[in-house]
Amino acid sequence: MRRGRRIAGIILAVALLAAGLSQCVFLLRYPYFRRYAAQNGVSLREARKAWGHPDKDSEWAMGLAVEAALENWDKVSELAARDRTTEIGTYYYNLSNAMKGQLADRLMDYYQPFERGLFLPVGAHSTPFQIGCAGDVWFALGYMPLAERDAMLGMLFSPAHTGSRYLRRLAECNLVTGDLEAASKYLRILHNMRGNRQWAQDRFPGHWDPAYQLRIAEKRNLLPQLDLVHGMDQAQIALRILLGTNHTNKMALDYLLCYDLLTKDLDAFVGDYDPSLTASHLYEEAMLIFLAAKGGMTEDNLNHYHISATTLARFNRFVSIYKRDNGSGRNLTQEFGKSYWYYFYFAVKNEKE
Amino acid sequence: MKRNDLIRFTGFLLAALLLLSCGRRFDVRPAGTGTDRSSPLFPDYTDVTIPCNIAPLNFYYTDPDGSRFTTVFSAGSLSVTLRGREVVWKEKQWTRLMAAATGSDITVVSTYRGADGPVSWQWSIHVSPDRIDPYLTYRLIEPGFEVWDDLEIQERNLESFETRNISDWRHTGNHCMNCHIHAQGRGDLSMFYLRGEGGGAILNRNGTLRKLTLQDSAMISPTVYGEIHPEGRFGVFSTNIIIPAMHAAFGRRMEVFDRASDLCVADFDANRMMTFPETARKDVLETFPVFSADGRFVYYCAAQARPLPAEIDQLTYSLVRRPFNAETGVLEGPADTVWSASQRGASVCHPKASPDGRWLLFTVAEYGTFPINHRECDLCLMDLTTGGIMDLNLVNSDKSDTYHSWASDARWFVFASKRGDGLYGKPWFSHVSPDGSVTRPFLLPQKNPHFYDTMLRSFNVPDLGNAPVGFDAAEIGRIWKEVPAESFQ
Repeated sequence: MRRGRRIAGIILAVALLAAGLSQCVFLLRYPYFRRYAAQNGVSLREARKAWGHPDKDSEWAMGLAVEAALENWDKVSELAARDRTTEIGTYYYNLSNAMKGQLADRLMDYYQPFERGLFLPVGAHSTPFQIGCAGDVWFALGYMPLAERDAMLGMLFSPAHTGSRYLRRLAECNLVTGDLEAASKYLRILHNMRGNRQWAQDRFPGHWDPAYQLRIAEKRNLLPQLDLVHGMDQAQIALRILLGTNHTNKMALDYLLCYDLLTKDLDAFVGDYDPSLTASHLYEEAMLIFLAAKGGMTEDNLNHYHISATTLARFNRFVSIYKRDNGSGRNLTQEFGKSYWYYFYFAVKNEKE
Repeated sequence: MKRNDLIRFTGFLLAALLLLSCGRRFDVRPAGTGTDRSSPLFPDYTDVTIPCNIAPLNFYYTDPDGSRFTTVFSAGSLSVTLRGREVVWKEKQWTRLMAAATGSDITVVSTYRGADGPVSWQWSIHVSPDRIDPYLTYRLIEPGFEVWDDLEIQERNLESFETRNISDWRHTGNHCMNCHIHAQGRGDLSMFYLRGEGGGAILNRNGTLRKLTLQDSAMISPTVYGEIHPEGRFGVFSTNIIIPAMHAAFGRRMEVFDRASDLCVADFDANRMMTFPETARKDVLETFPVFSADGRFVYYCAAQARPLPAEIDQLTYSLVRRPFNAETGVLEGPADTVWSASQRGASVCHPKASPDGRWLLFTVAEYGTFPINHRECDLCLMDLTTGGIMDLNLVNSDKSDTYHSWASDARWFVFASKRGDGLYGKPWFSHVSPDGSVTRPFLLPQKNPHFYDTMLRSFNVPDLGNAPVGFDAAEIGRIWKEVPAESFQ
């Protein structure tokens, strides 16, 4: 009898140990899954039920979302560098570069699914994960209406309909716009959530340290001062509204120019481009296509658009190979594969998109 | 350590952990001026008028630095003292207090120890002998933007804290559903929409449920806003091409406008839809139709069509009415302007006639047809016998006040207000005297006084009913799955 009890005890202990070990292995393999679940206010069990068992790709995507929510842009860059040719990867690759002022310079170094790598679509065909991430770029740009909308929708589609990643964003959006009554609702919830108490307390009005005061002041400086009503997915209009208020919002300008370029709308690009406000070899390359097409390759234009002799020489070489090969890109890929010229002539939009 | 000591120690540790976990209270910070908890009480029941059949008014003190809270309620010879930050009533205590106070005031003395010393003040609650219709239906929805998830329509018993789902996402494939409305506060005459595949307008007439496709090829869309005629045979509806959009600045958030909108009448007995040339003009937008209490008129909002969204801030709706023939279902003419947008320099939404025929309650905003995000949107009460506008300063707030409905005896109305956080609509109730004077509204009481602190959904279109609707979510689920929608011609 006693022996039987001992054996049962040992079996139970081994089972518990195995379960514990299995959990440890899981957490070691998928640390971002756990952190993303925590940001969504759900346990691991609930997270598995909602999102299924993680794999390498989902762990990587969740890592991007987790680090972006914490604004760890170096970490986001590091994760995004592992190219997975996904929209979410490109979105965060572009965003982390933009945070360092390198959006345009590094745009062509990566997979670009046209404009969908700049702004994640929010609509009937979007995944809840995409929707939950879509507002990160708007918050960074300073466009609070869409940052708030996407946080609301991210929360709406999250398994528990709550979560610190959304509540923090909602609180901050309202702190930036000065709607302290709305912000206090979210801060109070966060103040009562494990792991968020200090974060919330530091953001109560009247408790801001100088660094946080500066952050809010900088964000407020970006807020549109002109009210326009626009469609839910009109990213270009939102960017132009931002620039209408603050033309020195370089990040908004780069996003607008890159949007024009990724959609191959060179007329819009030329209208939006002011070489005194931003510069990149990408813009030089795009201007050369435009100028060549319009017969505007004059000394004055080249100077005005700060087009370097090196870029011009490369462009001439690109054109000569392109013409020699009757429009084929086979001899251009290696040398010009990461140029805007190559993208402009050879990138094809996936019909499924 | 001996075995007994170990057991004792473990027990002590578990008990301590249990105490710690139970002892954690909801932290009320941030509170005070500039926050959504600016009053010393939440909900702030100071100087409100309540019906004698309302559920206990539980509340809490918002001062984060306060301690030793004591609240003394006195009515007649009865006195009840409750201690603690959270003032939570036992049902029997509350019933006794209501019995003692009906028709008079409850005097309340609040005292506590604040950061700067003792705090004490007196306030009161007036208990009206006018009972309120005991059922409230509303849709619980997160502030969304064209999308939804996990929608529920609930029915709350206002005399207790009982709540039940009368339709929900679990039983209807997570489809969209629109708000439930009673006709003249009647529990046996009501309707709501289930959208998407398997959906339709769910009509509840005398406990019989029908699923209807209220659409015809001549209509620009399925029916959207509307109301059932007091006799139950007809319904008047708008058809709307609805466009959602975003404001860029000043915290205005989402705007919604109609690219086109017309009126139609549904004959529920003959399964017939009727449209009328006068209310199907392209140059005029018509919406939010409702019947007068006697069913002889239809009130609705009308505006000149404009290029939108460019001129959204100039889109203003007038309140107009047309005679309604309750024999034929025909919307007759001519239209009579009851409240002119051009003269008032504002826009009207959501007219609702009181069931006694005396009042018309509607909302007024600067422009447009989507007042829930318009902070300036206020309720407006018109005396239909004189056309005069009553003073609702006591009722309105600095945030959106809209989506109202009348009790069946027209002594109470409920409305959704975003006062406080400005984001989440909550149901507030106000009393109307025969002379049109209104009282300071009170917020729907909840069992847990911190309920609204963590609530991340809006109470959408709160609607009063004098009896429970005779169906539940499971029955709606069965109808959604099994019953084909009746077509209308």
